[in-house]
Amino acid sequence: MAPRPPPRFRRDLRRAMNKAMADRARLMTGARLLAALVPVACGLLAVFVSNLPVTLLGGLVPPPLLGLVPVYFWCLVRPDLMTPAAAFVIGILQDIMGGGPPGVWTLSFVAAYAVVARQRDAFAGLSGLGAVLGFSTAALIACAVAYLTVALYYWHLTPLGPMVGELVMTVLFYIPGAFVVGSIHRRLVGAARSDP
Amino acid sequence: MANGTWKIARRSNVQLPLVIVLALAVVLVLLGRAQSHLFDQARMRLTDLMAPALEGLHAPVESFNRWIGSIGEIFVVYKENLALKDENARLRQWRTVAVVMEARVKRYQALLHAVPDPAIDSRLARVIGRANRPFLQTMVLDAGLADGTKPGQAVVDDRGMIGRIYLAGQRTSWVILLTDLNSRVPVSVVSPGGASVQAMLTGDNTALPVLDTLSGQVRLQPGDQVVSSGDGGLLPPGLPIGTVAAAGNGYRVALLADPAASQDVEILAFRQPPEALPPVTKDQLPAAAAGLPPATGTDAPGAPAAAALNAAAAPPAKAPAPKEKADGAPPAAALPAGPAPGNE
Repeated sequence: MAPRPPPRFRRDLRRAMNKAMADRARLMTGARLLAALVPVACGLLAVFVSNLPVTLLGGLVPPPLLGLVPVYFWCLVRPDLMTPAAAFVIGILQDIMGGGPPGVWTLSFVAAYAVVARQRDAFAGLSGLGAVLGFSTAALIACAVAYLTVALYYWHLTPLGPMVGELVMTVLFYIPGAFVVGSIHRRLVGAARSDP
Repeated sequence: MANGTWKIARRSNVQLPLVIVLALAVVLVLLGRAQSHLFDQARMRLTDLMAPALEGLHAPVESFNRWIGSIGEIFVVYKENLALKDENARLRQWRTVAVVMEARVKRYQALLHAVPDPAIDSRLARVIGRANRPFLQTMVLDAGLADGTKPGQAVVDDRGMIGRIYLAGQRTSWVILLTDLNSRVPVSVVSPGGASVQAMLTGDNTALPVLDTLSGQVRLQPGDQVVSSGDGGLLPPGLPIGTVAAAGNGYRVALLADPAASQDVEILAFRQPPEALPPVTKDQLPAAAAGLPPATGTDAPGAPAAAALNAAAAPPAKAPAPKEKADGAPPAAALPAGPAPGNE
């Protein structure tokens, strides 16, 4: 039987253990905060990148709505981190950077979020081509809301072609976008999530 | 993540309800319609901040675009070269004709004492960004308020008009292209016979904007020249814009300028000041010009008009209207009653 350590040593040991636990808790809180910020930051970054006034291919095709990818993805996977308010903020940045009538993309992002959130179980169960179709539905809702809002805004129907181009580009960019967002989720958000 | 599939987390209770956010989004649309300048200011500040990065990014992107665009042209270079030589020869002939005509017009203007065209101040700007979005077709220039650029000014390249300045920040500005949904430009359609028809060029986000507000009786021919009319005083008249192209029952315009290829553009600082009306003398007032007695200063407001109406209903006065004095001073009868100047 090992000799019992003196009381003073036990007290110091307890203090050291308490300090280590407090440090770990602080670290966990910081990691959780970071995890909470990552989806919104990704959404804002995606909007920023997709709305840079730089056109490839001579402006033949419109830029995709990259900001919708993080909104859709984390709305399904971590709705506690991608809240309606987060979708609202991402939509506002899309409005500011994208030009056009103010508030249109904010409304369309929140509307798409609302539909996805209400049918979350159905969307989350999709995989492979089904997942792309699920995102296409969300993108279609966003584009349709934007188109109708602009039609009401100007009180006449605008040409459908550019909006269809935007929808197609957004769906095409979903596959690489989802890959990037999934990697970020695994490395940052998923790893930081450690709910008891 | 568990077993290769995404684990669906439970919804947090601490978040704004979806209905409230949806309502806020609707309010934002309505607010944006009423107070769009808030969004415009945010856009311009953001663009000003991004300007150095955009300038650095512009050159490689343009090179890439040129490279992509030139891939298809490699196979038609010889054919295109022959066509360009032919076109160049014809343009040289037309240049000679234009020089002769210009000299003749100047001579006629001198003979007729025609009012000369207003001088247009212009500055050169570089295109540092382009955007082709469903609701906005724009380009970003590296000239802003600090360079004297103001919203409404025309932007042209060496071929014709591209659009107008839409937003102006301190160092950058956005151009609304003629093809944009929000673009409206008053134009004149000039036929080869010299007849001119006024119309409105309306963008609809397609490559060929629509010629609008034409009456049903007007018949245009494809190829008729479209130039800015100068109505409204914002744009100088006569800026080349494009040619008429038939489209179904209406007309569209094939633009001369190519915003996708323009690298350097010119901003025209044209602002025709409203013409000042000549000062009105007392004799030119309606009552005095009609030979009616002047209103007195003690009459209540509206009394002069009533008196004029009463006098008009009465038989016409036999006395002739008071004539203006030789020195230009109005007659005493035309002056309103009251203390004379200097007698106070």
